[in-house]
Amino acid sequence: MERTPVKRPFIKRRTLDRVGLLFAALIMVSPVVLFFLWMISLSLKYEIDNGAYPPILIPENFAWANYVQVFKENNFFLYFWNSVLVTGAATLLALIIGVPAGYGIARLKAEKAAIVIMIARMTPGLSFLIPLFLLFQWLNLLGTLWPQIIIHLVVTVPIVVWIMIGYFETTPMELEEAASIDGATPWQVFRLVALPIAKPGIVVAFILALIFSWNNFVFGIVLASRTTRTLPVAVYNMLSFEQVSWGPLAAAALIVTLPVLVLTLFAQKQIVAGLTAGAVKGG
Amino acid sequence: MATVTLQNIQKRFGAVNVIENLSVDIADGEFVVLVGPSGCGKSTLLRMVAGLEEVSGGEILIGAREVSNLPARDRDIAMVFQNYALYPHMTVEDNMGFALKLKKADPADTAERVKKAAAILGLENLLDRYPRQLSGGQRQRVAMGRAIVRNPQVFLFDEPLSNLDAKLRVVMRSEIKAMHQRIGTTTIYVTHDQIEAMTMADKIVVLHDGNIEQVGAPLELYDRPANLFVAGFIGSPAMNFLEGRIEEGVFRTDKGLILPLPADLSPASAGGRPLVYGIRPEHIRASDQGIQGRATIVEGTGSEIFAKLECGGEQLSCLFRERIDIRFGDTVGVSIDEKRVHLFDKATGQRL
Amino acid sequence: MASVSIETARTETGNKGSKPSRLAPNYWPFVVPALIVIGAVIVFPWVFTLWMSVNSWTLGQEQTFAGLDNYIRLATDFRFWESLWHTLIFTVLAVVAPLFLGTLAALIFDAQFPGRGFLRGVFVMPMMATPVAIALVWTMMFHPQLGVLNYLLSLVGIGPQEWIYNRYSVIPSLVLVETWQWTPLIMLIVLGGLAALPREPYESAEIDGANAWQKFRYLTLPMIAPFLMIGVIIRSIDAIKSFDIIYAMTQGGPGTASETINIYLYNTAFSYYDIGYGSAMAVVFFVIIVALSFALMMVRARANWSDMETR
Repeated sequence: MERTPVKRPFIKRRTLDRVGLLFAALIMVSPVVLFFLWMISLSLKYEIDNGAYPPILIPENFAWANYVQVFKENNFFLYFWNSVLVTGAATLLALIIGVPAGYGIARLKAEKAAIVIMIARMTPGLSFLIPLFLLFQWLNLLGTLWPQIIIHLVVTVPIVVWIMIGYFETTPMELEEAASIDGATPWQVFRLVALPIAKPGIVVAFILALIFSWNNFVFGIVLASRTTRTLPVAVYNMLSFEQVSWGPLAAAALIVTLPVLVLTLFAQKQIVAGLTAGAVKGG
Repeated sequence: MATVTLQNIQKRFGAVNVIENLSVDIADGEFVVLVGPSGCGKSTLLRMVAGLEEVSGGEILIGAREVSNLPARDRDIAMVFQNYALYPHMTVEDNMGFALKLKKADPADTAERVKKAAAILGLENLLDRYPRQLSGGQRQRVAMGRAIVRNPQVFLFDEPLSNLDAKLRVVMRSEIKAMHQRIGTTTIYVTHDQIEAMTMADKIVVLHDGNIEQVGAPLELYDRPANLFVAGFIGSPAMNFLEGRIEEGVFRTDKGLILPLPADLSPASAGGRPLVYGIRPEHIRASDQGIQGRATIVEGTGSEIFAKLECGGEQLSCLFRERIDIRFGDTVGVSIDEKRVHLFDKATGQRL
Repeated sequence: MASVSIETARTETGNKGSKPSRLAPNYWPFVVPALIVIGAVIVFPWVFTLWMSVNSWTLGQEQTFAGLDNYIRLATDFRFWESLWHTLIFTVLAVVAPLFLGTLAALIFDAQFPGRGFLRGVFVMPMMATPVAIALVWTMMFHPQLGVLNYLLSLVGIGPQEWIYNRYSVIPSLVLVETWQWTPLIMLIVLGGLAALPREPYESAEIDGANAWQKFRYLTLPMIAPFLMIGVIIRSIDAIKSFDIIYAMTQGGPGTASETINIYLYNTAFSYYDIGYGSAMAVVFFVIIVALSFALMMVRARANWSDMETR
């Protein structure tokens, strides 16, 4: 009984600290929450409400029509499909060639290869565009999705290789030695031992490559034609070529980024792991 | 099962000579322990036998096959690693059957052999578990099981017990030994722990700086160490070394302590050269006559008493098996079992 | 140090050994496909850009060798120097602001409180969101008459701003968006650093009577300094080549008030199709980025070194 009076203020202080921290965290998060709330609000309002002053957060009538309009009048189904194809192909190709490469570079301790990958990650995307644009023009590929798939490899391959180098460097060499003593060929060592163990790393590489490819804008504005646009280019073009009406524009913006945001929420752990690992290594 | 022959093995890392020229013969079914302090080249040697490390020169024969150019997978050997190297994504059963699966063996036969090995090691109930669900001792057994299942020509062990706690280490030590006695496969076992070497080996190879110091049965090394290094390395607590010369049939240390000599040792052969007198602590008895010394350290474990005595400027470690009453600072009389004295040439370190 | 020297010794045997490695698995087949792809889409463009930069070529016209003409033109191009200046201001602001806010956020999210995991997840979202989509919404929010930001300012008694429509406020406005988007990255990096901090120094500091600020100033800050440096490096490289947000919101405008090197490069190559000049710009830009990263990495290495010495 004598102890309680000592303990109680301590607990009280801790709860107070926690409430204070929660409050501070809410303030930090509020620009994010308010932004996305406003984005949703814009996308669900008719022109009249979007032009109102003072601004309206929750309208009386939701303008679901904005979303219908985006898909109907702007060919968004096609652009969505283009995005899926470009991102899907560029990510899968990057995994197929990048995961073994990460393994090889890690095992060979090929520092020079690693430095090339790092510089590739630092180089602005634009500087790849001039030569590849000319190359695609010369190969007469413009107008198909191939130029975009290929140039997205500039983004996805270095990410995958980089993350996988880091991952394979930390997987113990003894396991592979044990496998080779057990009679595995180098390819079997990779496929049956190294690869299954690296699965979490592959997931991280996959998610990051997917997001960065999906979000990419600069390659599309140069290489995409009317029928080969990806979503970021399509939404940007809505801005430049049409009477700017905010509702559909915000709806389109939301459609573009929603898949990524959902992925971010569900795969938060992997994204954090990938970015911080890449960060610390990329240094 | 097979003999293993290492002939004139050399190993260089860049300009660094790790092993200069080393030859060992291992008989069929023999349990050989490579022992030495860290950095002596014992693990490198084992990895060269395994095919994980190349030889820079010389030959390795398993049976009659020259294997030094074969990759590990073609050598028909099994290895137990220090940290077990169990495949974390496979169950115990899959871990143990992995090598057979790679050989495309009949699955039913594989299951049968895994079950048999599991029975030997008491792992029957753990076959569906993953390595992370096992205790250290169980992992160790699985690693051994993985080796047994394959029925290879040679077992290699790379300090397999060093990750276990002291108690488990003793248990596993006897289990490994029992396993070897049961299946009789030629075994090469690397450790830095001389007690492991003494308790398990048929033959011990003592390595130091990439050279073999001595090869022999455990008791041979204990009784007749070939040089100062082996004398100091084998046996715990370590042998007392006292520097001095033979004078008039006795040994006089540089600080003037007179020590007895075995009768059969002819002083003429030692001829006044600087020598090292070696006597193991357990070969010194408490005695009322003999050398008087002051106890500077006294440690009793119950079964024995370890004491360090200062006698005429020399330090003498003693291990008494009988219960005697000594305290710090007491003066104690001890006598040396002169049949157990070892004499070494100080200049060369070799036994006389 | 010992491990390093062994490492070099090993690579030496690998490269110079009398016999090629017979036992080590051959890892090159794993790397070759990627090498081919990287050669084609990364190394080839580098080399080709370098070649184009010493040519004079506008798409549709004759291509001629121009030597260093493009570079000389760059050196005297006022618009280029202006874009360099814009890039510098933008980069400095877009590094400092997220660094400060991200560290603050990391300190908050490092502590325990209800809802921490979820709120951190929300906080990270801007970083992964599609920049163009984000930029469009910010553009609407920046609208001088209809934008919600001016309304919010009016609530606290501040008059309407012109945001990205004014040549003096455009760069700070873009930095605001960049900060909103990239503060989480700094937060994550610093959070990683905080998670790795040992507990004992704090316990001993507590016994020594340090208060919260002193603990932060004398323990936390020095110990997370390497992570802050990593944050600075990554953020600098990202900010200097920032394109999507600036292009989608202002295209370098009003006038050329927010034209960074990257935007000017884009306009030169893909609006004026002046391939040779654009390539020269790309080369200079590339050199700036690589030089900056290596400079920062050297600072980091030296910081770590002095850190070790004092220990």
